[in-house]
Amino acid sequence: MIQHDRISIVVVDDDAFQRFFAVKLLETLGYRAHEAAAGPQALDLLRETGAPILLCDLEMPGMDGHELVRRVRAQDSGEDGAYVHVIMLTASEQSRDRDVALEAGVDDFMVKPLDQATLSARIGSVRRLIEHEALLKQRTQRLAEANARILEDLNAASDAQRRLLPDAGGRFGGLAFHAAFVPSQILSGDMFGFFELQDGYVGMHTIDVSGHGVRASLKSVALGHLLTAAYYTGNGFDEDGIPDPARLVARLNARFYHEGHEEYFTMFCGVLNTRDGVLHFCNAGYQPPWLGRADGRVEALDAAGFPVGLLPDMGYETQAVHLMEGDFVFLCSDGATEAENGDGRALGESGVKAVLDRHAREPASIPARLQATLDGWREGRALDDDLTILICERTRT
Amino acid sequence: MMIRTKKDDASDTVVVQPGAERLTAANALQFKSEVVDVIDGGESRLAIDLTEVAFIDSSGIGALVGVLKKLGNRGDIVVFGLSKDVQRMFEITRMNRVFPAYKDRSTALGAMADGL
Repeated sequence: MIQHDRISIVVVDDDAFQRFFAVKLLETLGYRAHEAAAGPQALDLLRETGAPILLCDLEMPGMDGHELVRRVRAQDSGEDGAYVHVIMLTASEQSRDRDVALEAGVDDFMVKPLDQATLSARIGSVRRLIEHEALLKQRTQRLAEANARILEDLNAASDAQRRLLPDAGGRFGGLAFHAAFVPSQILSGDMFGFFELQDGYVGMHTIDVSGHGVRASLKSVALGHLLTAAYYTGNGFDEDGIPDPARLVARLNARFYHEGHEEYFTMFCGVLNTRDGVLHFCNAGYQPPWLGRADGRVEALDAAGFPVGLLPDMGYETQAVHLMEGDFVFLCSDGATEAENGDGRALGESGVKAVLDRHAREPASIPARLQATLDGWREGRALDDDLTILICERTRT
Repeated sequence: MMIRTKKDDASDTVVVQPGAERLTAANALQFKSEVVDVIDGGESRLAIDLTEVAFIDSSGIGALVGVLKKLGNRGDIVVFGLSKDVQRMFEITRMNRVFPAYKDRSTALGAMADGL
């Protein structure tokens, strides 16, 4: 809080007697006064002392009051220039002078001769403004600090989220994974994973939590921790040991369905037998996968299903597809299909498929190719939704 | 107010127009709460007019399901006028099995009237 008696005031007047009188009055009132006999000297003093108030005579030889105020305003309009409150002394209540002075940036007027009561009242009202400014500045400072802390936390959370994702380019069991992950905000509601299970099986999933931002990302991270190889082994097979990802998805639905809200996620969940190339999968409302064949053909898999956590007791279905050597499964979030160009047209499934058709023989290149296509489609504008691309390729031996 | 409503007496159904071309995270909560107000006002038979809606995202689907849950067993809800993209979204998420979908207003209200 600014102390009343510490406030500095610059007094500028070419008339030594008037100046002396004003200084004495201000000192009597408990302010610290600095004298200047001319405009340029007053500007220097304002800079040196940081005084928030200027008591300024209108008529001065050389730089007059109007010109001085214009310079003061030019000076304090900078990034961290503190505002100088200007009170102008005039000989009379000439309204034309006052219009010019207001235009130049004067805040208040006083008519000579000065008297202590009026001066005290006018400076007092400026003092209240200055104290209020200081309070605002303090609050702004606190908000800026809080904002910086939140951003730092978000970035840390974003790093943690990325560390949860497997390394793109993973290879095991005769498979190669290719992936891309682009959050639309610092944090993402998307999640994907793949890992080895027992007996030559590999588990994989892609997830898109409804909504964006912190809330969605917390759920996606929780899912990332939950969906481990052990969870797949315990929930992703039927009693006879046959992969049944629909069973796992139904478990998740029971776990994440709650009355009273409609937060949910869509998910592709697959279990691939690396010995024979059979992929059992359950698609719970995720953008349906495409199957790329070794000879370059690309087919859309007809795979629909209820999202997870939206409605209770929904039936989920396990489907199967056979991957030959050189075949791949392609998954992407709706961040790709729903990406709109400048005319509001979505890239659509056909736009994504066009990329797949062109590059089906080099699946490793597809994540970068699709991202480049999206960049072009968006003309460089960032995506509105999180983007995940995951490809599981059964490599040739 | 975002939605527009009109009661069709013959089928005892309120037709709800979302009043937006896009039903997304930006307006889904408002949409849901306004339709819930209609239900709280005593209406239990709704036909959602999606003719003007070009795009529904995951939050929009969530809002529709929220309305459905609010109605529970006490009422009926159908949708009509789905664009190709919205239709596809309904298929992928199987919402076409949750919400009976009709081509247009008259077939939707006809079906509602038959159900009386």
